[in-house]
Amino acid sequence: MTSDVDDQAPGALLPGLLQRLDEAIEALDSAPDFSKPTRLRRVLDGAKRVLLQEGGPAAIEARAQAIEAAGTFTGSDWAWPEILIPSLSAHALGSHDADTVVIEALSDLRILAVARGAYLHPTLSAENAHHHLTQVLAINLQRLFMPPSEAERESQGRLAQLARALLGHLAERIGYEHIVDQLIEEIWRILQQRPIQTEPVKQMITQIAICQANPDIDLGSSGQGADRLVSSLFGPTQACREDPGVEIYRDRLERMDGVALQNEATGFARAMHDTGLVSPYHAVLLRHLADHGDHLLSEAMGLSSTGRDCLLCYSELVHALIDQAVFAETAQAIYGMALMLERGILYQPPVAPALWRQLSLPLSAWSRERLAIAFGETVPPRTRLLEGVLCMLGQPLGVGQGNNPTCQSARALSMWAYNDPDYLLQMVAWAARDDEIIIHFEGQPISSMASLSGVATTLPIDLDPVSLLVVPHLDRIYAEMGRRCIGREGDPHRWINPEFHGWWSGRGFRINVDVATGKLESLEDFLRHFYASYHPYFNGNQPLIHPQPIGIAATDSAARFIGWHAITLLRVSLDPQDVMRAYFYNPNNDSGQNWGDGVEVSTAGCGERFGESSLPFEEFASRLYIFHYDPLEHGELASVPQESLDRVIAMVHRTWGADRIPDEHLTLNLDSPATGTEA
Amino acid sequence: MEKNPDKGFVALLGWSLNAVEAAETFDRRYVVVAPDWAEEYCEKHDIPYIPWNFERLNDRSMEIAHTLQEKGVDVAIPLYEETVEWAGAINSVLLDKPKLFGQAMLLRDKALMKRRAQLGGIRVGIFEEAHDKEDVVRFLKRVNQTLLKLDGDPNDPIHLKAFDKAGCLGHRVIRTPDEVDTIPDEEFPVLMESHLDGWEFAVEAWVHNGKIRFLNISEYVTLGYSGFVPATPELEKYREQITAQIEKLIKTFDIEFGFVHPEYFVTNDGEMYFGEVAYRPPGFKVFELLERAYGFNAYQGLILSFDPKTTEKEITAFFPKEVVDAKGVAGCFGVYPRRRVVSKLEMPAETEDHPYFESHELTPPIEETVTKRTAFGTHWGLIYFFGDDPHTMRDLLKRQEDLDFYV
Repeated sequence: MTSDVDDQAPGALLPGLLQRLDEAIEALDSAPDFSKPTRLRRVLDGAKRVLLQEGGPAAIEARAQAIEAAGTFTGSDWAWPEILIPSLSAHALGSHDADTVVIEALSDLRILAVARGAYLHPTLSAENAHHHLTQVLAINLQRLFMPPSEAERESQGRLAQLARALLGHLAERIGYEHIVDQLIEEIWRILQQRPIQTEPVKQMITQIAICQANPDIDLGSSGQGADRLVSSLFGPTQACREDPGVEIYRDRLERMDGVALQNEATGFARAMHDTGLVSPYHAVLLRHLADHGDHLLSEAMGLSSTGRDCLLCYSELVHALIDQAVFAETAQAIYGMALMLERGILYQPPVAPALWRQLSLPLSAWSRERLAIAFGETVPPRTRLLEGVLCMLGQPLGVGQGNNPTCQSARALSMWAYNDPDYLLQMVAWAARDDEIIIHFEGQPISSMASLSGVATTLPIDLDPVSLLVVPHLDRIYAEMGRRCIGREGDPHRWINPEFHGWWSGRGFRINVDVATGKLESLEDFLRHFYASYHPYFNGNQPLIHPQPIGIAATDSAARFIGWHAITLLRVSLDPQDVMRAYFYNPNNDSGQNWGDGVEVSTAGCGERFGESSLPFEEFASRLYIFHYDPLEHGELASVPQESLDRVIAMVHRTWGADRIPDEHLTLNLDSPATGTEA
Repeated sequence: MEKNPDKGFVALLGWSLNAVEAAETFDRRYVVVAPDWAEEYCEKHDIPYIPWNFERLNDRSMEIAHTLQEKGVDVAIPLYEETVEWAGAINSVLLDKPKLFGQAMLLRDKALMKRRAQLGGIRVGIFEEAHDKEDVVRFLKRVNQTLLKLDGDPNDPIHLKAFDKAGCLGHRVIRTPDEVDTIPDEEFPVLMESHLDGWEFAVEAWVHNGKIRFLNISEYVTLGYSGFVPATPELEKYREQITAQIEKLIKTFDIEFGFVHPEYFVTNDGEMYFGEVAYRPPGFKVFELLERAYGFNAYQGLILSFDPKTTEKEITAFFPKEVVDAKGVAGCFGVYPRRRVVSKLEMPAETEDHPYFESHELTPPIEETVTKRTAFGTHWGLIYFFGDDPHTMRDLLKRQEDLDFYV
């Protein structure tokens, strides 16, 4: 052994290591695809050594593009940064397998380069990269601020240091002092959309709470805004302020008088409606109050007169639901139930009986297994499903598609929960009990059992309980409907949407893209009809009656086309600033997106209800490519102002339509280049 | 890479990803001849492929030769010991040189090859075939008698090797008659050799038109554990002598083209003893080490030296000048667990922190109990090093033998 190595200053090895790494990257880059795996070892081992050096992460960040281009991520999930789930990074960075840690580190540093604008990535925008890293840091807060635990050192050895150096670098580049504050802002932004799935948010809040409680971690002045979040989960009221544990809290409840219980009830209700998060203590209280009269129950759920009325009318049902669905582990059921009561949907004759069916519904072995795989076995699968049903009925716009290409199915579930709740309950019963759903298409039954494959190639797992069971069936039926439309001219959604989503999807159908060529087609006519059908100024001031399936051309923050996406148009009306806005539901889990060219989807502050997204009408129209309408209600086509249409058309041409402009248009432009795109 | 129709069309016998990669990125047309388990992979990646199971030569052997001939293949290149006789059989058809088959059979049988070497005036140790355990005991006694050992003196060991296996596979060292009992009956017949005290090393030589085009000397630090290229100056000082030996060897074995990988001992008095020779790429990733040290692709060198359409100018330009053109020294170490019970892989910090350390192919242990090592060469994975100084490399590789990689 040569000993001169040990005497060198920290980081002195770096230039030599980087030279080796660069050679390894080059060797990987020049290898044909099939033999890249044999060239990967030198890159991973070289990167590992670099990452352990001072200044290593920065050096990797500078090479991020070359590392990805050489094929380091090819064939793994990391090859698609846009689908990576931030919360999984905690597991990857904690792995005892060096390669997993290193590749996660390389990927995160690549995302950092994207976030900082140094690397213009084909599928990941700088904004999304930034969001991703904020969440990665959030989920790893403890690792960032704390030295490795004994267990970590034992299982990971020096890898634990590598993960810390990586997170430290990420935090430094993103800005240390803002991490926690940004994280809190991020959590609030997500919560404002009131997702049904709250587990990731709860994990992030728990991380903040752990860091705040630890005297060794100096968060400086940041993290002040986390109090409401942390308390809503761990101590929303006087009697559980110090997070005593549910057993002690239950004992305390036993000794409380009416006034004290009333205080507890209002405290929980306020926390729940502030955040959309429900503390496990809340479930303990609600079960306790079940024996103390409906007035306190109503208080504990924070019901208005509508909800209270509904509770009193269906008291027996509500008690049965509390008894079977509300436990510390399924506390979110309370929020779902409260909102369901507020919506008054129990007054629709089939809904209450359908819920009674749900209460006694036997689950198939397959359903029980799927629920146990996704949510564990701490509570019985049927309890988990009941919680999911209540949440979906209470928060129809909180349905998310997870990381699955099943936006159609998620949209259908949301639409039914919103518009046709008893039909949703019917679907849940069929899926959960019978493992089969049958939907008719043009008179022919389509069975989800007989249809082999859906859009998704693997069974999704990252979904709420209802979606988990129903989506695979819907996805297969949707795909089968598509197969039955093969050979028809034009876009199949013309026929699929009304049959798949419901009769209220208008039979009139317009699309502005020629399916055969992918080019834009009669754009102005398309838009004029959209205005006349949905814009209150041109449709006889008719508010939207039923939610309508809409197809949009999704674009990223650089206004580049990403893909076709299914959303629901919910209403069109003036916002508090008197701007005409389209309010819509996006099954994508986080709707607050930057679509580029100045179009930023708002999720709060412009008159949105929980779960709604909104855009000014023109901006919304500029991303539209499919809509349905009632052909008998044609509106006032002629009065749609040309200037407004021109603005929308210009936006289309600047963004997703840029390379879809039909040839004759280009010719016209050549004749009079000075007049711009709209000749 | 764009293929040159004026150059040769080669068939690679056996599956080696590194060889395929080299062929894919080279200007020669190629086809992989490998067992059918390779089919799916080849199809998926558009790798030209012909399925063939290399069992013992049989009456279907002509079939593959004719298939390749019809495709326009010029020459077959063996990648593994088991495909050497196939290459001989096929090339005797493709090149219309019947003697190539006999030559291949000679190169596949360690006893025959030693006799041939002896006939050619090459120095070999004492050797004999053994058909059963008694033969081994007798040979052990006779060798030690010859060495004028008295009863009670420690025996000089003898080496047992399978006739037709690559490198260290089936290689055993026997010192006492008791140890003979540990040899399973199914390993017979074997080749027995006397032990030569000296320095063992291997040579890789690329031959074209009967001339050596590149000659590498691989230095073993400990047989079966580690090797590196280029060798230390102490071994390289024999280069002239070694070259003369290899020239003698290719003349004796009548080798006109291709690649030979012989092993030699050099004794304390500077005498060279021939061990064995193989007509295929060496194990222990020597080709990969050469690429790291010199920057040329040794598999592409292989293709050049086999291809009859290779021009003099081309091959001269391809190979660098030995030793002086090396950018550094590349070595690798084969890890074998030292403990009997292991639970995890843990790279020693001193290895990983050494500036020469480059990468490793170790995987976490599948079983906790380590089976006793019976023969040479069954390592659990390799560790690669690269640096400037051959002595540092030698000491570094030696040092690895004292470290635990599995704990």
